Amino acid sequence: MAGKKRAARPAAGQQWTPKQVVDLAMAHDLAELEVESGDLRVRVVRRHPPTVAAQAAAAPAALPKAEGAERAAEAAPGTVTIEAPMVGTFYRATSPEAAPFVSEGDTIKEGQTLCIIEAMKLMNEIESKVTGRVQKIFVENAQPVEFGQPLFLVESGK
Amino acid sequence: MFHKILIANRGEIALRILRTCREMGIRTVVAHSQADAGSLPVRLADESICIGPAEARQSYLNIPSIISAASITDSEAIHPGYGLLSENAAFAEICRACGITFIGPAPEAIRLMGDKAQARAMAKQAGAPVVPGSEAPLEGVDEAQVLADTIGYPIVVKAAAGGGGRGMRIVRARDMLAQAFATCQAEAAQAFGSSELYLEKFVEEARHIEVQVLGDRNGIRVHLGERDCSVQRRYQKLLEESPASAISEATRAGLYKAALTVAHSVNYISAGTVEFLVARDGSFYFIEMNTRIQVEHPVTEMVTGIDLVREQIRIASGEPLGYKQRAITLRGHAIECRINAEDPEHFVPSPGTVTTWLPPGGFGVRVDSHLMPGAVVPPYYDSLIAKIIVHGRDRAEAIARMQRALAETHVEGVKTTIPYHQKLLADPAFLSGEHTLPRLEVGP
Repeated sequence: MAGKKRAARPAAGQQWTPKQVVDLAMAHDLAELEVESGDLRVRVVRRHPPTVAAQAAAAPAALPKAEGAERAAEAAPGTVTIEAPMVGTFYRATSPEAAPFVSEGDTIKEGQTLCIIEAMKLMNEIESKVTGRVQKIFVENAQPVEFGQPLFLVESGK
Repeated sequence: MFHKILIANRGEIALRILRTCREMGIRTVVAHSQADAGSLPVRLADESICIGPAEARQSYLNIPSIISAASITDSEAIHPGYGLLSENAAFAEICRACGITFIGPAPEAIRLMGDKAQARAMAKQAGAPVVPGSEAPLEGVDEAQVLADTIGYPIVVKAAAGGGGRGMRIVRARDMLAQAFATCQAEAAQAFGSSELYLEKFVEEARHIEVQVLGDRNGIRVHLGERDCSVQRRYQKLLEESPASAISEATRAGLYKAALTVAHSVNYISAGTVEFLVARDGSFYFIEMNTRIQVEHPVTEMVTGIDLVREQIRIASGEPLGYKQRAITLRGHAIECRINAEDPEHFVPSPGTVTTWLPPGGFGVRVDSHLMPGAVVPPYYDSLIAKIIVHGRDRAEAIARMQRALAETHVEGVKTTIPYHQKLLADPAFLSGEHTLPRLEVGP
């Protein structure tokens, strides 16, 4: 993905800390940074990408399952439920012919469009608030949804 | 007739509407906020749909969400209840544009009656008496003085943007006017962002009496008698009764005629209420028209035997009223007490969880309430938790019945205004029927 850079392993025997990764990303004004260190993998995504580009939605490489990544980030490994922010009709794609925005197993980034909710003939693109992997999609295409209804279960990545 | 109606309200009125829909064989969808997800109307509805978080602005007042909810549930009509979006002309217009029937009057009538100055001009033109006063914002204290001299003291100076008793001053003598004007102007600018002032005659010892009207799409309009709502505190009605007891038959007939005149002037459709101030000598003045079902509508239902919500739904679906004025008879006397979750002495809201709810029952008693044990009274909305309505052959019987009903009502978990109502029902002024509106007497 654009803006992503592989950082070199630190001095032999040492491991990256999440803070070091964040500092490195900030220092180089990077939108996204992923660091692999032995069985650890730390990925940093900035909330507001500094520059343009960063649109490449090309086949997202599915993150390997949980394991070291979360542990390295020291945050509780968890899942995030993305709920409907409004009442309306849920659509997984821009049209019946189009490919769905996301499918189960896809890696998603914060700000990425996950679905459309149609309310009062307005198509509202619903963006992800987190970066991670879509574990489950709770609703069917074209199904009515109410405010607060769970739509996606996302395994949050760091 | 409709097959499915979306109820865009909460609490007792949502349940009230739902009950009539069920009797009419109409399916109901209750649109609710997250705070009301476990409420009784939501539980009893055929379908329910969450339209937003607790704050009313994002749920019950959120027009796109409500329209969207109606559309995905295939609801043909929306009943707005009272408060919230019930008198929002833009909402009624959007419903119309989206092909959803708004159960209420036309947006034009809502808009006209929602503008105090326009409504007053309309009523005056139609021939209904209005309180003598300024027709436009006052230019200055000199104009106020000239006008007050013509009308005669006492007068009341009001902020154009005020309401509910806020931003007004009663002036009893000419030499007090200048100071009252200046104070009111400063207050209005600070409180409402507009220093525009009006002036009108102050009606002493007035009663608030309102007339219920119904109109259909064919221009048939009837009145369903009056309600006396003179028991108020800080401009909030606390007890209403029908009929009004201390007015002459001539005054009563005059009120009915004036109410229908106002309703005709705006081609009023659906249920509406024309409010008047009635002076001791029987003279009366139009105040405003409420273009919705009102909280106190059950007292009218009790004396007429007419289900007002049913009439609203029938009229909205295009059915003719089907009867004329002479078919309406008023029987006996009805009283309603509004039970609020409030401290009965200071009237401070008392939200919380209701642990015990034992409503009254027996002959001639009706309870409109969404309470149940475990019900949560959220802090986000108004504090009305129950309406106790009684019917008797006459006023004395209705009062005795209400005293009995209140004594057996038991609510725990939140404070209620029941002790206030019990005191009121023992008050000699109320018992004699001679009570009048309390008015804020704030000197300059």
